Amino acid sequence: MRSRLFYKIFATYLVIMILTLGITGVLLSSGIRKEEAGRTKDEILSLARIMSMMSEAEISRKVSSLAGTSRTRITLIDRSGTVIADSAANPKNMENHLNRVEIQEALIKGEGAAIHFSRTLGVDMLYVALPLRDGAEIKGYLRLARPLLAVDAVIKKLVESIYHTIFIIIVFSLLIAFIFSWRLMSPIRKIADSTRRVRRGEIPGTLLMNSRDEIGQLAQDINYMVMELQEKIRLAKEGEGKLEAAFAGMTEGVIILDREDRIETVNRSMDAILCNRYGPILNKTPLDAFRNVALHDALKRFKKERAPVLQEITMEGAPSLILDVNISTVTDMTGGKDKTIMVFHDVTRLKRLETIRTDFVANVTHEIRTPLTAIIGFAETLQQGAFDNPETARRFLRTIRENAERLNRLVDDLLTLSGLELGEAKLHLEGIRIEDALDQVLAVVEARAAEKGLTIRKEIAGELPLIRADLDRLAQILINILDNAIKFTPAGGTIAISTSPGEEDCLTVRISDTGVGIPKGELPRLGERFYRADKTRSREPGGTGLGLSIVKHLMMAHGGRVIIDSTLGHGTTVSLYFPVFRESK
Amino acid sequence: MEEKRHINIQYDNELREVKDSLIYLGALTEKAIEGGINALLNRDTEMARQVISNDNLIDRLDVEIEEKCIRLLALRQPAAKDLRFIATAIKINGHLERIGDMAVNIAEKAIILNNEPKLKPYIDLPRMAEVARGMIKESLDALVNEDVALADKVRKDDEIIDNLNEQIFRELLTFMMEDQHTIHRALIISQISKLLERVSDHAESIADMVIYMVTGKSVRHTYPADSREN
Repeated sequence: MRSRLFYKIFATYLVIMILTLGITGVLLSSGIRKEEAGRTKDEILSLARIMSMMSEAEISRKVSSLAGTSRTRITLIDRSGTVIADSAANPKNMENHLNRVEIQEALIKGEGAAIHFSRTLGVDMLYVALPLRDGAEIKGYLRLARPLLAVDAVIKKLVESIYHTIFIIIVFSLLIAFIFSWRLMSPIRKIADSTRRVRRGEIPGTLLMNSRDEIGQLAQDINYMVMELQEKIRLAKEGEGKLEAAFAGMTEGVIILDREDRIETVNRSMDAILCNRYGPILNKTPLDAFRNVALHDALKRFKKERAPVLQEITMEGAPSLILDVNISTVTDMTGGKDKTIMVFHDVTRLKRLETIRTDFVANVTHEIRTPLTAIIGFAETLQQGAFDNPETARRFLRTIRENAERLNRLVDDLLTLSGLELGEAKLHLEGIRIEDALDQVLAVVEARAAEKGLTIRKEIAGELPLIRADLDRLAQILINILDNAIKFTPAGGTIAISTSPGEEDCLTVRISDTGVGIPKGELPRLGERFYRADKTRSREPGGTGLGLSIVKHLMMAHGGRVIIDSTLGHGTTVSLYFPVFRESK
Repeated sequence: MEEKRHINIQYDNELREVKDSLIYLGALTEKAIEGGINALLNRDTEMARQVISNDNLIDRLDVEIEEKCIRLLALRQPAAKDLRFIATAIKINGHLERIGDMAVNIAEKAIILNNEPKLKPYIDLPRMAEVARGMIKESLDALVNEDVALADKVRKDDEIIDNLNEQIFRELLTFMMEDQHTIHRALIISQISKLLERVSDHAESIADMVIYMVTGKSVRHTYPADSREN
């Protein structure tokens, strides 16, 4: 870029200089020629005038000596144009000269002059002619000629010096072009440098230009432009930052799809919801990333209807997620074309609570209705005559009583549970030896275990610290767990009870059975009221379906916790963590 | 030049459409298998009916994909890898449709079982279904990502399924020998296990096709190294 401008300036200067010089040279040389010719003409004309005073015969006789002294060629021509004498050639060989320009001029004007090329001598000659008169009558003509050699020499010198000058001018033009282009370029280069840096996203300093010319003005404009640009970038960045913060901070998961329907942006909440269960999802289509038919269908519906779509989808996996997805468009401010935004709302917990609630209502009605139906049924039968048969009546009354008791237990359990949930249950906390509690409980359940052919093994590890618990409640917890273990362990199985001091001031009681086990997926729901892992299993008589729920809440009230671990088909282990008793408390 | 570019974009879109449809079909069949098994495990006859009625969606998609592939072959005359992809897509399409049919069969058998008392808690069957479902998903993942290593894994997973199938059969045999009233139910469960085994075979075939598509080498009817030696 620089060199091109340099050459442009150089060429311009060169052309202008050479043109000026050439024209001057041409004008000068023609001027010199004219001047020289005029001077020579005057000189030889006066010579001719002097000679014309001599007689014709005298001239013709002394032609060579005259020529020698006057340094001219002398030709004597008669009236008819025939050359009589010539100082440079033999007159006999010469043609008629009457038609020559100078002779004709002399005939008409009294004197004649002309420059033409002499074939005889081979140079440009200046010819001057005068008529030789005898009174008024022309007798002949005297012609003097001198070569214009001197003029040519002068002109040659002139041209030579012009050539020299041209060479010098080339050198000067180079220098001038270099200086000019450099002076012109340096501010432009500064500007270009600055704009390039802006383009690269750097922040250039203010362009300082001393000149007040157009380039200075340009620099000023660029300064303003850069300032405005920076302000715009700052505003854009600020806006982007706000958006980014909102985007990252919102609790809903957001996925933005590009125009090709590939996942372009995922916010932090979405990552948190997905928990990395799908691996990298960027740049994939949602179908490819999630393999979710419902989501794909919702997206398809959105594409077709071009109206926001709200859909509940389930993402499989452990645990499966239930998400509300809202699909709509965002207008891309830069491109103007619309992108798709999917906002996900994790409703897994909500749905689960909803299920728990509806399940609870359904279960509680069912649990209440079963004994009630039995009570009503048997009472009706009694009314209709069974009362008369004492044997049957007694049996019926016993059944009615059993069912009423079951109902009573259910209500008791529900009350306990709601009391625990509301935090109203008063615990009488004291230091208890876990061994005592276990012995007390085993005395109650051992008979039932033996009846089913189960072995109960107890392993107490040496001296254990006291635990902080309410004895009655503790017994309730242990009975519940042991009851379950006995219920779900087939004949011949073993129930093992072990205790061990745990970390951080707690004591662990582990009750393992070799029963049917619980599927992994059901474990989190075990604490729910009336929840049954195996829905097909009919309720064992006597169970209220609230046992584990009560255990969970009681343990929480004690400041401990329950962890249930199970392998399907191999058995279940319930670990109870109790806080250790401290005297100071 | 502009015209040519335009055509290429359209062609790319068509290829992508086939790929997307295949993934969609895969997701549908995966869901169908899951539905069938859940219908069995939760004794949910309603779900079984849904799986059966959803199958016509799978069938329709199957026809659609095949038409798309044939149109691509006829109009675009693809070469090299694209050609292999389309040929593969046609075959995979067929496999997926068959898997869908098997999900229907499982659902039908679940309905029969749901009308009878439960024979035993299912332990191996859900595991088998889980592995089979994973194989369908991974074989399609391998297709989309052109992942030969993943396809190899799918081929190896088939062995797990075979072992589970045998295990279930042995267990059922003991039930049947003990009590002849269980024979009917046990046979149906055995059939379901066999159906799952065939699902996994189809997934394995898809993995084979993926390896062919990516490498150009056919590995069909050969067994993955270090398995099935005995």
